[in-house]
Amino acid sequence: MRKVVILFFALVFQKNYSQELFVVTDPASNIPANTLSARVMQSVFKEQVETGYNYHAMPEISYGISKNLMVRSTVFLSTRSNNIIAEGASFYAKYRVFSTDDVNSHFRVATFGRYSFNKADIHQDEIEIMGHNTGFETGIIATQLIKKVAVSSSVSFEKVFDNKPDYVFPSNQGNNATNYTFSIGKLMYPKKYTSYKQTNINLMLEFLGQTINLNGKSYLDVVPSVQFIINSQARIDIGYRQELYNSMARSAPNGVYFNLEYNFFNVIK
Amino acid sequence: MKKINNICVLLVSIVLLAGIKSNAQISKAEIRATGLTCSMCSNAINKQLKSLPEVISVETDLNTNTFSVTLKEGNTLNPKIFKDKVEKAGFFIGSLVLTTKSEAIKQGGYLVVNNVSSTNPEVQFQILDKSYVTEKEFKKLSKSFKNVETYALNSEDDFHIKIIN
Repeated sequence: MRKVVILFFALVFQKNYSQELFVVTDPASNIPANTLSARVMQSVFKEQVETGYNYHAMPEISYGISKNLMVRSTVFLSTRSNNIIAEGASFYAKYRVFSTDDVNSHFRVATFGRYSFNKADIHQDEIEIMGHNTGFETGIIATQLIKKVAVSSSVSFEKVFDNKPDYVFPSNQGNNATNYTFSIGKLMYPKKYTSYKQTNINLMLEFLGQTINLNGKSYLDVVPSVQFIINSQARIDIGYRQELYNSMARSAPNGVYFNLEYNFFNVIK
Repeated sequence: MKKINNICVLLVSIVLLAGIKSNAQISKAEIRATGLTCSMCSNAINKQLKSLPEVISVETDLNTNTFSVTLKEGNTLNPKIFKDKVEKAGFFIGSLVLTTKSEAIKQGGYLVVNNVSSTNPEVQFQILDKSYVTEKEFKKLSKSFKNVETYALNSEDDFHIKIIN
């Protein structure tokens, strides 16, 4: 695994262009105003305790209200109860508070908030309002382009509640956590653009960590991924998530992501 | 008599300034956007520009993020529309070069700051105001235009321009 990480860093820092359309984290940049983005995030994660795999699908719609504000709504589907069922949904807003651009650089800061509800069973120490827990998350993201390499980082506070109606959040577990992410991405192809029809290939490397505030239990994951941008309008991501460090109970930390996205520009005439 | 003269000059100026917005017809705009390197980001600007009914075509150089916009005759677009469109896509203008008939800039609203006059029937000029150049360039320009009182005001109604040809 270490070799893979080093190889990714070598590729990412190698040269020139960068990308910040990350696969599992969000950059400080917003989607354009009056653009509607439809995405289906899918993941297959291997169960650690039981045998078998979990399939999660998260269809979502994002919309740019203004140059600084975007909103998003996500539905959580999963096969954890054998059949594919809708377990919950999420509402998200991100506001760009600071932006300074130059020809070859930009620095942006955004704040975000998300509220999710979920009715699934609670089966791990890890808290995750994207598809597992009812709760909210709020945080700050900073994205910097330095010499055409984009680096993005975020810190957030996440707090969860009972998964109503059936599942109470266990009182012996910490119900709030500090999350942090670090992401880096680079455009591998084309070296030189000729048209919007060219397929772009991006490589991404993302780190996601969580510390439960009550007891200090933590994890750190890495997600290397490859991304294809088709016709400057559609996006396909393939990623693999691997646990690097962990001191908490997690049901299925390792697995693959497969995301599809399509952007509709200028939706309201 | 001097007073009356001054009033006349003032009145004429007001009339000219009021008239200019509709008369300064822009035939072409060359926009260089900053802060992006991805083709999907560039496409967002492309689509924003194409959403204007006054636009005939947008040609893009994806490597420099330069958009060459050809506009319909008789349009009444103000330079501010290009800034708004690029910023709606999430980015900023690094440079904006406009092409108009040469008499259009004489009518007012545009303040020529580089003491160049063009004899061409069509004139190309760059807008030097805040948000129409990069932040670094704006800082430099603010120093060199210390004596131009209107420059520091950042008014949206007048544009400080450099004639290119």
